[in-house]
Amino acid sequence: MLKVALVGCGKIADDHASQIKKLKGCEIVGVCDREPLMARQLYERFPVRRYFSDLSQLLHEARPDVVHVTTPPQSHFQIARTCLEHGANVYVEKPFTLNTKDAQTLVALAEERGLRLTAGHDDQFSPVARRMRTLINSGYLGGDPVHMESYFCYDLSDPAYARALLNDKRHWVRRLPGKLLQNIISHGVARIAEFLPTDAPRVIAHGFVSPFLGNMGEEELIDELRVIICGEKRTTAYFTFSSQMRPLLHQFRIYGPQNGVVVDQDQETLIKLRGQKYKSYLEKFAPPVGFALQFLGNLTTNVKGFMGRDLHMKSGMQCLIESFYNSIVQNTPPPIPYREIVLTARIMDAIFEQLDARQSLQVRDSRILGVMPLQAHLQEN
Amino acid sequence: MDSKNFIIGPDDPILVTGATGFIGPKLVESLLRHGFRNLRLFVRPSSDATRLEAVAGQYQDGARVEVINGNLLSEEDCITATRGVAVIFHLATSGDKSFAGAFMNSVVTTRNLLESSLHHTRLRRFVNISSFAVYSNTNKSRWKPLDETSPLETHAASSGDAYRFAKVKQDEIVTEYGEKFGIPYVIVRPGSVYGPGKESITGRVGIDSFGIFLHMGGSNLIPFTYIDNCAEAIVLAGVKAGVEKEIFNVVDDDLISSRRFLSLYKRNVRRFSSIYVPHLVSYALCSLWEKYSIWSRGQLPPAFNRRRWHAEWKSTRYSNQKLKTRLGWAPKVPMREGLVRYFESCRERRHA
Repeated sequence: MLKVALVGCGKIADDHASQIKKLKGCEIVGVCDREPLMARQLYERFPVRRYFSDLSQLLHEARPDVVHVTTPPQSHFQIARTCLEHGANVYVEKPFTLNTKDAQTLVALAEERGLRLTAGHDDQFSPVARRMRTLINSGYLGGDPVHMESYFCYDLSDPAYARALLNDKRHWVRRLPGKLLQNIISHGVARIAEFLPTDAPRVIAHGFVSPFLGNMGEEELIDELRVIICGEKRTTAYFTFSSQMRPLLHQFRIYGPQNGVVVDQDQETLIKLRGQKYKSYLEKFAPPVGFALQFLGNLTTNVKGFMGRDLHMKSGMQCLIESFYNSIVQNTPPPIPYREIVLTARIMDAIFEQLDARQSLQVRDSRILGVMPLQAHLQEN
Repeated sequence: MDSKNFIIGPDDPILVTGATGFIGPKLVESLLRHGFRNLRLFVRPSSDATRLEAVAGQYQDGARVEVINGNLLSEEDCITATRGVAVIFHLATSGDKSFAGAFMNSVVTTRNLLESSLHHTRLRRFVNISSFAVYSNTNKSRWKPLDETSPLETHAASSGDAYRFAKVKQDEIVTEYGEKFGIPYVIVRPGSVYGPGKESITGRVGIDSFGIFLHMGGSNLIPFTYIDNCAEAIVLAGVKAGVEKEIFNVVDDDLISSRRFLSLYKRNVRRFSSIYVPHLVSYALCSLWEKYSIWSRGQLPPAFNRRRWHAEWKSTRYSNQKLKTRLGWAPKVPMREGLVRYFESCRERRHA
């Protein structure tokens, strides 16, 4: 029986506890939060053996085999390192760490101790993402990816939520190096990292404060981001994060030398894009029929999944946790390669460095010029 | 009103948390109207204080209304807020849909406030604003009125309602601090508070989650309390002598049925389609949903279940007897007038 513990008893911990509860061969031996009331409420609602408010006590007394770190990102590194040092395998919620250096340190420590580590990139384990991986691994693209596009949107249209973030200058999201973006974009970036055949891509980032936030007086929180990522082997990718575009996409497109694939995370659809064209007017008629049949196939798959109790909103998390536990028990590689975790961190670091540098420059320019407010600069550049 | 029966004088400092919420500005207005001149209003930095400022602006003569920005999750902010206060009206609550979020913003914040109150010795009353959501109603006969002695929900976590869970736990922690540390508390449980500023239709009448309004209430009485009446009850619970550790349910007189309310709403505010779901059918659907949710291991969340049905859609009678006898409360705004004001506000909002 695998002994599992959760550190951090906020909203996301509920999702973890719910998924762990469904798995066989494991039990939650302890939950921990430095706020004892939070630890107790999780303990009361789920089958959990004990609750703690001290990490060290949890590790010594409950002796978990696996710890899920579900605290705010600022504490991920420290807690994960402590757990690894105490011999526990660690699942760290996204964003994995605040920077690449910390990610590399954790990976090195896990390898040195013979322990497993994974990041909470659970979107990549949803049923449709798994179907896509199987298809690509079967050689459908016809070679290394030529280009990828990852869309990851976030709904900030609820003024109540936006105000909570905007008016609270002490909000923990503001204290992250990449602020709002750091807390959100890793899912979308990790999708690209999975298929990028290089460890040192070139990253060009452009970000700005949307007019929506700007009109609410926000000058600091960037909620519109466009990124170009170029690999050494000429594989390229675009990453788009937006709070304003509609529809709010969570989509991934990958194009190889022969064929392409489009995956829609929200609709759970996978569409194959045939590289070869039909002759003459047939190109106007055959592909629409093909797409219609593919969408019908997706509908059937989703209905079957729903009827078979297998279309949960958090299917991806369940699969990732199960795969991670299996890798521990069977001593096989972890479900997310460490290379991919570090590469995701590296791309995010590069994005935030550029946005930071540009914002600092624009603040300086606006002070020198004294005529153009930062918001206008950000939108025009 | 006989101010001799009050536990505080007009210049004693009063703290109101959640002052920018729906009830907050009306409570502040009621306190000022009663002659209390030293108010400290605790608001979140993210709150919209427009209504509150408008109210405070009307009573500037000799009154000291201090607005403090802060977060009740911060112990430091709580200590600042509670310093020297004689009465705390704790209205702040959470609209968070997640259990952890609702718990953190209701229970942890309340604990912080209670804990910081221990640092100061002047506190004479802690008024905890609870809700009818804490009552179970499951095993109660439909002919027995729901009052302060009715059983509380003991399986709040399995009700699928984060708000209910948080409110049950909030009441528990207030009681615990009262027993352990002697904090003089009073718990006020308003029914469905209605009035200008809150245009949505209470879920006790029906729900529009599925694209069409499902009328669930039928002939059930809705435990309405007009916002002014509710604020008055809260003020009295905070200042009347001799009611420590008491609980007060707040509902108005002359309650109307769900069907009557819906009909008036459609006539006075806007027309829309609705389908009446008879009680037997709604109970069966809730039961079915609950079973499917368990069978499918949460593929559908347990948003509808038998506990919710009992709490919100079971035919129930309500009592405000204790409120009247112990606090001397009487609804100043009759149901008929309250509804007129409410519908007018809804119409204005629609045309704004």
